[in-house]
Amino acid sequence: MKKFVFYPGCVMQTEQYALDLSLREILPKFDVELVDVQGFSCCGEPLKSVNQMLSVSLAARNIALAEREGLDMFVPCPMCHLAMSECKRILDSDEEMKQRVNTFLKDDALTYTGKATLVSILDMFHEVIGLEKMKKKVTQPLDSLKVASHYGCHLIRPSEIGRPDDAENPQKMEQILSTIGAKPEDYPEKLDCCGALLNANLPETALTKTGQKLQKIEEYGFNALVDVCPWCHRQFDARQKKAGETVAAKLNVPVVYLTQLIGLSIGISEERLGLNLNLSPVEALQNGGN
Amino acid sequence: MSIIDLTSMGEPQTDMKDEINKRLLTLKDEFSEYCYQCGKCTSGCEAHKLLELEPHKIIALLKRGLIDELVNSDIIWTCMSCFKCRERCPQKIAPVEVLFALKNMVVASGKQIPGNYSMYLQMVLSKGLLQDEKEISTRDNKTLKRADLGLPEISKPVDMAKFMGMLSKLAMEKV
Amino acid sequence: MTNKIGVFVCHCGINISQTVDVKALTTYAKGLKDVVVSEAYKYMCSDSGANLIKESIRKHKLDSVVIACCSPRMHEHTFRNVVESGGVNAFNLEIANIREQCSWVHNDKEKATEKAKALVRGAVAKARFLEPLEPSKVNVTPEALVIGGGIAGIQTALEIADKGYKVHLVEKTPSIGGRMAQLDKTFPTLDCSGCILTPKMSEVANHPNIDLLTYAEVKEVEGSIGNFTVTVTKKARYVDLDTCTGCGDCVQACRLKGRISSEFDEHMGKRSAIYMPFPQAVPLKCTIDVSTCLMLTKGKCGAGPLCVEACEPGAIDFDQKDEDIALNVGAIVAATGFDLIDEDIVYEYGYSRSKDVITSLEMERLINSSGPTGGEILLPSTNEKPKSITYLLCIGSRDENACSWCCRIGCMSALKQLYLLREKLPDVELNLCYMDIRSYGKKYEEFYRTVRGINSNVFRGRPSEVRKNGEKLVVDVFDTTTGKLFEISSDMVVLVPAIVPRDDAGDVARMLRISQSNDGFFLEAHPKLRPMDTATGGIFLSGSCQGPKDIQDTVAQASGAASRVVTILSNDTLEVEPLIACVDEDLCSGCGTCISVCPYQAIDLMKMDDGKSSAKVNEALCMGCGACAASCPSGAMQQKGFKDTQMIPIIDEMI
Repeated sequence: MKKFVFYPGCVMQTEQYALDLSLREILPKFDVELVDVQGFSCCGEPLKSVNQMLSVSLAARNIALAEREGLDMFVPCPMCHLAMSECKRILDSDEEMKQRVNTFLKDDALTYTGKATLVSILDMFHEVIGLEKMKKKVTQPLDSLKVASHYGCHLIRPSEIGRPDDAENPQKMEQILSTIGAKPEDYPEKLDCCGALLNANLPETALTKTGQKLQKIEEYGFNALVDVCPWCHRQFDARQKKAGETVAAKLNVPVVYLTQLIGLSIGISEERLGLNLNLSPVEALQNGGN
Repeated sequence: MSIIDLTSMGEPQTDMKDEINKRLLTLKDEFSEYCYQCGKCTSGCEAHKLLELEPHKIIALLKRGLIDELVNSDIIWTCMSCFKCRERCPQKIAPVEVLFALKNMVVASGKQIPGNYSMYLQMVLSKGLLQDEKEISTRDNKTLKRADLGLPEISKPVDMAKFMGMLSKLAMEKV
Repeated sequence: MTNKIGVFVCHCGINISQTVDVKALTTYAKGLKDVVVSEAYKYMCSDSGANLIKESIRKHKLDSVVIACCSPRMHEHTFRNVVESGGVNAFNLEIANIREQCSWVHNDKEKATEKAKALVRGAVAKARFLEPLEPSKVNVTPEALVIGGGIAGIQTALEIADKGYKVHLVEKTPSIGGRMAQLDKTFPTLDCSGCILTPKMSEVANHPNIDLLTYAEVKEVEGSIGNFTVTVTKKARYVDLDTCTGCGDCVQACRLKGRISSEFDEHMGKRSAIYMPFPQAVPLKCTIDVSTCLMLTKGKCGAGPLCVEACEPGAIDFDQKDEDIALNVGAIVAATGFDLIDEDIVYEYGYSRSKDVITSLEMERLINSSGPTGGEILLPSTNEKPKSITYLLCIGSRDENACSWCCRIGCMSALKQLYLLREKLPDVELNLCYMDIRSYGKKYEEFYRTVRGINSNVFRGRPSEVRKNGEKLVVDVFDTTTGKLFEISSDMVVLVPAIVPRDDAGDVARMLRISQSNDGFFLEAHPKLRPMDTATGGIFLSGSCQGPKDIQDTVAQASGAASRVVTILSNDTLEVEPLIACVDEDLCSGCGTCISVCPYQAIDLMKMDDGKSSAKVNEALCMGCGACAASCPSGAMQQKGFKDTQMIPIIDEMI
């Protein structure tokens, strides 16, 4: 059993319950134990436009909490993972910045040391668990399901900060999808943004961006769009109908979390994977899926 | 300074330019003076097609010290943070990070911030998280809470007073 | 007269075959009188094509060969070797040019094929009358002449001399060193120009195989590859080189000290009438400037010339005269360098209206610690330090009204100066207006990046003019990166000028019988494959006289030119093409018309045994230009390979 502090971030634990639920369902099946810790806050990334010093300090505070447990930290949300990776990159190479941040953390009786390793959602499956181990658990391969992957910008860029997959040709999600029997295919818009970050001030434009990408995916005849980021998923799934309106199209793209598909392939029930929480037409999956 | 912008009669703000360059250095980002204006950032900018953001022009104006023109424009708030400009810049410059710096300057100067950013800040200050725990709908229109799904309590700052104290201090800080 | 002819038609990939019906042409040729074999092949110039020709020669016992292919300028030499090794004399070959003169210039396949047939028909007609010829041999003089003592000439001379051949290096100014000696540091490595050049200059001065002729000019060149006769004028220096010790006492003593504008300092500084251009001059000897010296212009210098008084060894000699000397050399290298554009052509940039608008070469002299200001950057108008300096690139370059070409060194030299100025004046405001930065060489782009990081303001745009506004120089530039018009006021404007051929390049080209390209630079034989050669045998090019070059490229070409020269000098004899004039003594009336038209003095009038006179061709001197054959009233003068009896059948057949 490998143990990790589970960092939930804001969007997943307050709204995107399907991701939370499916992770908690499947990881123990692969001998990964998640430890819930009280006291986490926002990762800081959404406030980068407001005050970067605040962002870095929030990220450092969360890492410090995990460090106190003496465990490495599992950060499934790509945006949170980026915020903390960037924070680590700055503080681990700049003693002065580290001290500055730690003066603030002292108020909360916390210290950032830099000793905890951050594990992203891709690394959790691809590296920590590994494809071999995953393959052994697959009982219901998702034969003939043609799927498009969406990594989300923050999971693959900027590579300088150290991201879990290649910035220009990420393939880990495809490898995981192939392992569980699905048929992932690349498409021209694979690396494009979902638009979610514009929600703060230009929600209409954010939806247009979402709509444009979904429209392409529909056009290419994919059975589903697979994502891992709660921000992207909210755009593609919950807001799909509205996104369709911005591009004058009625969109019908099933959108699922990678974790939900993994769960299906190892025989976990749809209910335990929160599939009823997806608002996009995921029932279409069942025909192709099993 | 003996350079005058005759187009908009704007004055260059060299000290603000220096401040931005210092910020970039602290955050381990590349010095923007190396930009040679190839336009690769704008060619691939996710926000350009929809909102006319031109990252290369942001850098050109920064190099010229025309910071006022930048901080007074809504265009800096159109970035989607897709990081393509930073990822692909042949000179390792990060227009996206320059935009964060500029937006930070707007906030620090007390100018009005567009959209929900103030709300995000208020939420994080008061609750520690971007938003409260939500009730959600299922595909068959049932309403569910987190607990209904058997999920544990959300994780948030335990001692809110302490947390707020720390954040209020931080909110006044600059990089 | 031959009677077994083979015709070989080349497809040239699709260059010929897409416009000319090769199959029809080959069949047609087979039907011509005396043609015993006619074959086509995709690439006749390839090994397989050559084998096809050689086998056909053997199989059909051919007397002459006609090849229908590209221009003889392209592959005649190749095919001569092919037929020779097949067993036919190299000059029993006739080329029908069906590419440049047919397929490339026509679209109508049917008509082009007809024309190709006519060209082959003509070539076969000539082939019937071809005669075997043997090349003659000339002895090679194992010495070389290098014209110009800049880095190009220095490098070329040293490399030829190191191979053991005598080199005469002629430089028209009092010292070798050229443009490179004027520079401060060199891009992108920032090596001190003098530090890397001076050792080479001393090496030239001390090399046993180098005959250094400074303050001298080439006046006349005669002869051809292997044997040129050159007249060099050694200008009077009014100083005896053997006696002068280079102590410089005379320079200090001169009545006009500090009053004559210094050419070496690009007129940013002053010198005396008796002078050494710079402290590291080679030879380290004085020269009296004939145009300013009071003794030489007015006949008297106060109570008596102070230089003579100061010169302990007594080296000054006002009676010296220009002197012509003759040299015999086997090969010549032109290394005459470049000039800068006349700033009046780009009058709008204010060079002639303000002393503080200077060229980048003038800036080199200001930056240089042995320059007129001792390396201090001072405004020419006030001798004060500038607070702001603005560089304008491409002055006259890339401009159809001035010089259409890129100067190739302007961007890098300006970036280098920005770098050096930032070191010297940490607080100076540096501005640069450019269109593109062309930093193409090894480590150049890296240097450009470094300079972007040194706090300068760069504007992508070409200013329209430089105005003088009170004390300031004002430049308006539309910066295309921001889409804004900026007004830059600065104390000093540095123009980076276009590079042009030397103003006497035309005279030198005529003297050497070489061509110039339409920009005026000397024309190479082939821009890619023979970049150091000219179309004239035995004459080579080195450095910027062939086109603008930086030091790296110049040195590379200079070494290349040296190697080309040695290729010639290393032979005792050279084969000379036998396509020269010959006389039918029976027909010659001895009128001498040919003698008057021959540019090579290759024809003499000889008394024959029967008492009458006849022209006689000196085969070593004849260059085969054909002027005599064309002017001969009796038809006695003929050109081998192009005799009337060979040319008229072509015309008869084709019309």
